Amino acid sequence: MAQEEPEAGASGPAKVSAWPLFVALGLAVGEVGVVMALYPLAIGGLVLFAGSIAGILTEAGYTERPWRTLTALSGVFVALGLVVVVTRTGTSFGAIESALASTDTIVLRGFSIVGAGIVALAASIAGGSVTDAGPAA
Amino acid sequence: MAGEQLALTVLMGVFLVGVVTLVSRMENLRAYTPLVSGDAGYGDSTATSHKPSGLIRWLTTVDHKDIGILYGIYATIAFVWGGLAVMLMRVELTTPALNVLGGTGTYNGLLTSHGITMLFLFGTPIIAAFSNYFIPLLIGADDMAFPRINGIAFWLLPPAALLIWAGFFLDPLTGGAVGAAETSWTMYTPLSAEQANPGVDLMLLGLHLSGISATMGAINFIVTIFTERSPDVNWANLDIFSWTILTQSALILFAFPLLGSALIMLLLDRNFQTAFFAVDGGSPILWQHLFWFFGHPEVYILVLPPMGLVSWILPKFSGRKLFGYKFVIYSTLAIGVLSFGVWAHHMFSSGIDPRIRASFMAVSLAIAIPSAVKTFNWIATMWNGNIRLTAPMLFCIGFVANFVIGGITGVFLAAIPIDLVLHDTYYVVGHFHWIVMGMIAFAGFGAIYYWFPIVTGKMYQKRLAKMHFWISEIGVAVTFFAMLLLGYLGMPRRYATYEFNGLIAPLAQVTTLHQVATIGAFIIMLGQLIWVWNLTQSYLEGPVVEDEDPWNLKETGQYSREFEWFGEQLDTTDEDTPALAADGSGEPSDD
Repeated sequence: MAQEEPEAGASGPAKVSAWPLFVALGLAVGEVGVVMALYPLAIGGLVLFAGSIAGILTEAGYTERPWRTLTALSGVFVALGLVVVVTRTGTSFGAIESALASTDTIVLRGFSIVGAGIVALAASIAGGSVTDAGPAA
Repeated sequence: MAGEQLALTVLMGVFLVGVVTLVSRMENLRAYTPLVSGDAGYGDSTATSHKPSGLIRWLTTVDHKDIGILYGIYATIAFVWGGLAVMLMRVELTTPALNVLGGTGTYNGLLTSHGITMLFLFGTPIIAAFSNYFIPLLIGADDMAFPRINGIAFWLLPPAALLIWAGFFLDPLTGGAVGAAETSWTMYTPLSAEQANPGVDLMLLGLHLSGISATMGAINFIVTIFTERSPDVNWANLDIFSWTILTQSALILFAFPLLGSALIMLLLDRNFQTAFFAVDGGSPILWQHLFWFFGHPEVYILVLPPMGLVSWILPKFSGRKLFGYKFVIYSTLAIGVLSFGVWAHHMFSSGIDPRIRASFMAVSLAIAIPSAVKTFNWIATMWNGNIRLTAPMLFCIGFVANFVIGGITGVFLAAIPIDLVLHDTYYVVGHFHWIVMGMIAFAGFGAIYYWFPIVTGKMYQKRLAKMHFWISEIGVAVTFFAMLLLGYLGMPRRYATYEFNGLIAPLAQVTTLHQVATIGAFIIMLGQLIWVWNLTQSYLEGPVVEDEDPWNLKETGQYSREFEWFGEQLDTTDEDTPALAADGSGEPSDD
């Protein structure tokens, strides 16, 4: 995806954006996934939500590139997911590690939020290094 | 289970790839000028704007007028769903025993769906339809302050509706494992916390999304009205509809985040083993306090903008300026402030401290004062005016009449001793339906007819519109007056069946009144069928409006900014205008 600065005033307002639909869908799917313990929906929805937020902020000209926003949101997800996990396991590293094999759906939902954060982080690193490093950037 | 998760993973992966592909293809449309980099002038936007065609236009639009139309269509679909739900319930209630619906569960599901749909999926969005389309036009703004957030706010609503209704769709698919939520719209705990049905979780999530949507919209309207006004629009001449939307948005800003928080607490209780509303935790009464601290302002969130619509439209057909403009605004603000101080009048019978109860009674009764200010100002506006009984005007007059009955029945309920007798009876149902159907929906219909020429470029069929009004008004009176009487006889609300000890009330009379209410409901439905037919048929085949002043408002000095804008659109040949329907056929208007 080319992420050039919108050409302000060049062609007039198009009154079009693809992002609002996906911000809304990402939030809805992510919420349903987390609450209903449908892990693929949780991860996919949250990644879509974070990606769309990064996209819409860039499109609106509030940020120059989407990657830092995506990184920040991935940090929020990891932290939030860990809070959910820690409420069930306590803060010791060993307990969190052994909880990975847990069948407790609350712990697993916490890990799904962490997972969404990790995928979003990977996307931001990949996006930043692949898209921006190219000769077209 | 693992297979299901795998299938979902594949589905989600395919979906995300689809999104990336679509967004990549949309790149060439990404040319919207961000407001942060400076506004184009109001007149400039129409000269250079362009939109994609077909479905993509409607999926990607951030134009306030398009979003307003989307809200309107969405609200109409929800209105049909909510209306059909209640028709099934009314048919069930024509006899005391349960013999139409499969079981009480179905009735409870329909009851919940009807309430939530009408309040959150019809009431709030139909107001947003008018405010999105017309507030920027009325205040001379280029668009909303945050056009993309406007888009997000709308697109949160379709998933919200699907989740709120999900139980009905999933019931047959899951063999009854996920059913329709049976919590009523108040979602009182412990019932809502302890119902194992996952359909309740889906409904709560949908409601949460609709709350996020309303909050985003409210922030957008507050910023738009504060910062995007044209230089010649100041606080002293800001139109009355914008004033009510501004007040409503402030109420939403304080009320809806609270609902969202309470819903999350309830979801946590249901899914994450917390105890906010458990009997041995925070207590079910905590839910009632939190819910009604949102729920009562919600009443005014729904009714203030319709009051603004009537204050805007009624003078147009009275041939006079609104009587007491300033006091109508003050009364709006007063109602907005007082609405947060009355939540416990929904809890008079819950055993709360009698001294606290009395203070809530006093504040509740006080709301009658600004309400009366509005009513008398509407009547005074019509007094000695040159009244034209067009369909929008008929709906405005019906609105005022219904408010007198709906409002005064509310004054009685605000008095503790009377409320203790009538609490949770059909009297309450009758009271708030006079308001919700008799006022909110009526103002909506009036505004739809009034602005129909601007939005579609066509004129509706006037005879059908008047029929719509009279049938609706008669239906409202028959249905909801029967409900007030049912309440006096002690008929409890929310019940699918009824059986009375003859010493309490004669069953035959209760049954008859239920049958009267059902006949009234069918009369209302007939009116709405005419409405949907009229709008659809007129949009497709109605006479094209070529007069920039289809209501002859210039004669009485009531010509206003939105019709000036409409006139400008008629003068231009831009493909996007007039907004929805100009086909350029140039057929003569029969208006």
